[in-house]
Amino acid sequence: MTGTCIELKNLEFQWPGATRPLLSIPQFNVQQGERVLLRGASGSGKSTLLSLIAGIHAPAKNQLHVLEHDMGKLSQRQRDKLRANEIGYIFQQFNLLPYLTAVANVSLAAKFSPARRRRVNEISPHHSEHAKELLLQLGLDKGDLSRPAHQLSVGQQQRVAAARALFGSPALIIADEPTSALDADHRDNFIQVLFNACQQHNTTLLFVTHDGSLAHHFERSIELNEINQATLGHI
Amino acid sequence: MIRLALASLLNRKASAWLTILAIAVSTLLLLGVERVRHQTQENFANTISGTDLIVGARTGNTQLLLSSVFHIGALSNTLSWQSYQHLQGLRGVAWHIPIALGDSFGEFPVVATSTDFFEYFRYADRQALIFAQGDSFDDAQTAVLGAEVAKRRQLKLGDKFTISHGSGGISFSDHDAHPFKVSGILERTGTPVDQAVYIPLSGLGQVHGESVRDTTHENEHAHDHEHTHEHSHEPPVYTFSAVLLGLSSRPLALRMQRDINTYQGEPLTAIMPGMALTELWRTLNLFEKALLAVSTLVVATGLLGMLTALLSSLRERRREMAVLRAVGAGPVTIFGLLVSEALILAMVGVGIGIGMLYLIIGVGGDALLANTGILLRATPLTTTEWSFLAAIILAALILSFIPAWRAYRNALADGLTIRV
Repeated sequence: MTGTCIELKNLEFQWPGATRPLLSIPQFNVQQGERVLLRGASGSGKSTLLSLIAGIHAPAKNQLHVLEHDMGKLSQRQRDKLRANEIGYIFQQFNLLPYLTAVANVSLAAKFSPARRRRVNEISPHHSEHAKELLLQLGLDKGDLSRPAHQLSVGQQQRVAAARALFGSPALIIADEPTSALDADHRDNFIQVLFNACQQHNTTLLFVTHDGSLAHHFERSIELNEINQATLGHI
Repeated sequence: MIRLALASLLNRKASAWLTILAIAVSTLLLLGVERVRHQTQENFANTISGTDLIVGARTGNTQLLLSSVFHIGALSNTLSWQSYQHLQGLRGVAWHIPIALGDSFGEFPVVATSTDFFEYFRYADRQALIFAQGDSFDDAQTAVLGAEVAKRRQLKLGDKFTISHGSGGISFSDHDAHPFKVSGILERTGTPVDQAVYIPLSGLGQVHGESVRDTTHENEHAHDHEHTHEHSHEPPVYTFSAVLLGLSSRPLALRMQRDINTYQGEPLTAIMPGMALTELWRTLNLFEKALLAVSTLVVATGLLGMLTALLSSLRERRREMAVLRAVGAGPVTIFGLLVSEALILAMVGVGIGIGMLYLIIGVGGDALLANTGILLRATPLTTTEWSFLAAIILAALILSFIPAWRAYRNALADGLTIRV
């Protein structure tokens, strides 16, 4: 599968009330199926860029396309829908609803997305069965599948979060520092597991971190500072 | 979304249950007050039917009504045998039931009357009294029991019991020397009739004739004055508490009431039961309104408790909201989630409140009846009660917009940033 997954062209973004733009990116593309590491120090506008791509906040028109949708033209509701259907999001930590089981947390991804439900149905009519498969694939033990999320270790929680992001095969997974709460062993292991799963589902992965040492895992690694002229101009 | 709201509530079990409990108790109170109000009115209205006038010594209308028919409170004045004779002789009087009160059998009042009582007294929708067992009085030493008395005291036909002087509870002057034999037991009526013991006037006369020298009876028999008897035989008792009159034609009542009220022989009061009841309701109206206002405020407190619980939960749930946003839940969904939670809390609370009401009526109804004389029936919810419940849930719905709006705004502002 080819095509552009994320396409930034002359993206300018500034928070209301700010004196100068936080983001000013002439060009940045991510192809479908690509696995890209985006590195940036904290405060470099990483989170803002991610919230634009994920459709939480809206850019101006014709500046950002995600899966061929001009994010500047979509309404809040349409962006929420696009995110529900096509974007899996993994947080740094606290990804899960603590009162739901691991399996229920994973199937939550399909709750707000008819498209994901449809795609899961093609694989298996029983959503929880498919959620279990994904969890096992990501290295969770059978015994942990039906435990409430708050009883799981941080490493296990991140795997559940990855499984949720993958559930229903969205086109894009955004991982916002998913390994920063993990120690080195778990970190490499988690990245490996995530890679395999993305490859298997042909999912694009945008992996954001401040930790440059992870770059060797990725086929492509980008420094946010290098593409963001707002920061360059400032320096 | 309902499932999610449920799961989230279960995660906050303690506060959710407390909120539900507060709503349940306030619902119970509101329903209880309404039910007591409604059913008491109904019971009162059902207690007497077909009696056109109640006559007693000069006293308040309400007092006469309450003591003669409902056995609530005592009449301090009595009317004389002479007056009773006079009343009987009035034109248009179809039937007359004399009533002498003042004695009791345990907590049950003893009503001395004539056999006419069983023949002419009507309750509810002009229903006559029916004997479940046995029959009316045979002689002065027999008694008829109300259904509740027979059941509670486990008395059967032919059993003997003694009554005591004074109304209710412990008395120091028991009429032990004059036991009464049960000659009949009445069918249940759901009125104060069930709660009373009926003895013939002659029986009361014998009991009190025996104790006439007792100093405690001096007052009662003080106006034992020398009257000229129209009848050849001695009257069974000299004084009565009240006389119930049935008239041959209803419109006579108004004129007769005036005639009796201006009777020269003795100061008398005649009341029409229906009008006296209306008067009583008017007196109680303010009290009822106050009760209803208090219970409405209690409901408001319960709902405000829910509002507090939901609002304070929002801060610790920002993470939860961010996760929901990440999987594609829109702000509207977040809004709906909060509203569903409030509705779940309110509905479960109201449901438990209803359950508690019926439980209390079922389990404690008898105790309530025995201790307060309030008869509550486990009838289905009335339209008024349903509308109260709907109002509670509607109020909960409207109140929930506050935390829901807060959460909506938070969801928009926070986005995927997790603020802990």
